[in-house]
Amino acid sequence: MSAPSQVYEPFRAGLPPLIRYWKSLWSRRRFIAEFSRSELREQHFDSVFGQMWLILNPLLLSAVYFLLIDIIRGSTDSARYAHLTATLFLFYLVSNSLIGGVKSITAGQRLILNTAFPRIILPISAVVIALFKFLPTLFVFFVIRTVLGLPYTWEMLWALPILFIVILLALGLAITISCINVYFRDIASFLPYLTRTLLYLSPILYEASALKPKLLKIESFNPLFPILDSWSRVLVHGQAPKISSLLVSLAWAFGIFLIGTYFFLSREREFAVRL
Amino acid sequence: MLSASNAHKTNEIAVSVRGLGLTYTTAIDRRPTLKARVKTLGRGGKHTRVIRALDDINLDVEYGQVLGVIGTNGAGKSSMMRVIAGIIPPTQGRIEVYGSVSTLLALGVGFNPSLSGRNNVFLGGLAAGMSREEIQERFQEIADFSELGDAIDSPMRSYSSGMFSRLAFSVAATVRPDILIVDEALSAGDAKFKEKSLNRIKELRSDDRALILVSHAMATLREVCNDVAWLHKGKLVQRGDPQVTIDAYQEFLQVGKSAAIDEDV
Repeated sequence: MSAPSQVYEPFRAGLPPLIRYWKSLWSRRRFIAEFSRSELREQHFDSVFGQMWLILNPLLLSAVYFLLIDIIRGSTDSARYAHLTATLFLFYLVSNSLIGGVKSITAGQRLILNTAFPRIILPISAVVIALFKFLPTLFVFFVIRTVLGLPYTWEMLWALPILFIVILLALGLAITISCINVYFRDIASFLPYLTRTLLYLSPILYEASALKPKLLKIESFNPLFPILDSWSRVLVHGQAPKISSLLVSLAWAFGIFLIGTYFFLSREREFAVRL
Repeated sequence: MLSASNAHKTNEIAVSVRGLGLTYTTAIDRRPTLKARVKTLGRGGKHTRVIRALDDINLDVEYGQVLGVIGTNGAGKSSMMRVIAGIIPPTQGRIEVYGSVSTLLALGVGFNPSLSGRNNVFLGGLAAGMSREEIQERFQEIADFSELGDAIDSPMRSYSSGMFSRLAFSVAATVRPDILIVDEALSAGDAKFKEKSLNRIKELRSDDRALILVSHAMATLREVCNDVAWLHKGKLVQRGDPQVTIDAYQEFLQVGKSAAIDEDV
């Protein structure tokens, strides 16, 4: 007799066999693409006006915040506006991942109860959707920066590793929060407070260099702080980022990703009975 | 999971269940919240309960068999189907599955009700590990069988419950897996569709396929199955010839051959 194609045995606390898990995750990559596409289509981002909204929304947001800074500080300059848009748009990549990720497991209830598949594809898809919404805003930023006449430099290529770190961080956050939401279904209603706090704690409405040294200490607890600072340095000012900032944010991103993924993988086999 | 596999011969083992036990912890609240947890902090209330769903079940299903699973509500039928499908891991014992499995469990197809039926079929198939091409190939057949017509492209939240289960049944019945698990889904739609799905089940009976049907429709099971397993409170009570086992079960229920148990699927 041939070997069984599937064997199901009790699991102890801890991780599932990772190689097999990865294989079955990889074989479902089309799901992630298809899911993101149909989700975006459902939110009407395949139509002309839907796509315009993707661009209009961040522009309006940045205009509102710019007004706010302008009133509070009483003065403005073009670099400040570029800084605001660059960091705000990147911040929205993270916050959209969180907002999309939080309900990804509970919304996938039917699928989870009916089909065996690596549950982690659901929060991953949420991050992919957030990324698709981020890309047009990046284009808007480059238009703004060109109009403002900011110089282009080779150092701007640092944006790529920075973006990689941010995506890793977003994945870690989405995976963690989707798992927490299975156990506490009201996490989603606390989320706006969390993202709002993060927004004000991050160097978006102000530049990191403008902070008092005392406040800088608090910022070492904000995982977004060093990465947003580097992003602005690279894309707005065209300078190389501080390597120490990059390393700190990489450590944050890896830490959150690894802890979140461990937490998720060790619990995901329980999701079907918890939903 | 649904990849092409070798032809299976009659009497080869399809599913082997050994010493299966399933105990799980679940939340008492339907929607556990942090708020509720904080409110009851210090009062020491219980938030979870432990459910013993299955207890030391041994069961072999061979190719060529059509196994009916019967039992009262809460007997563990659905839990056992989920464990065989790999959706819930067992607490004890070992399950070996020889071949591809397609499941049609109680909840039916569909994932996101705001997406169209078409999108849901694709997403469900991709999540189950099928390729886009495989689904594309079968999609027309699924759509035709479900008789949904143009509704296949409208959001699933606009579907009636009958349309919902018709689509679900069509997906599971069109995939032609080695092992098909159908959990109380034969009641899909109206009498005409019921007839149609029953005929499809009969068509699917073949020597190189194993079917597991969970149902309360005793008349149907007597007609379709060649083997019946009776579960009660997580234990396997009796297994064997459909007529004998179902008779025993109905006697146990003390309802005999009443209309209520024969009538519906």
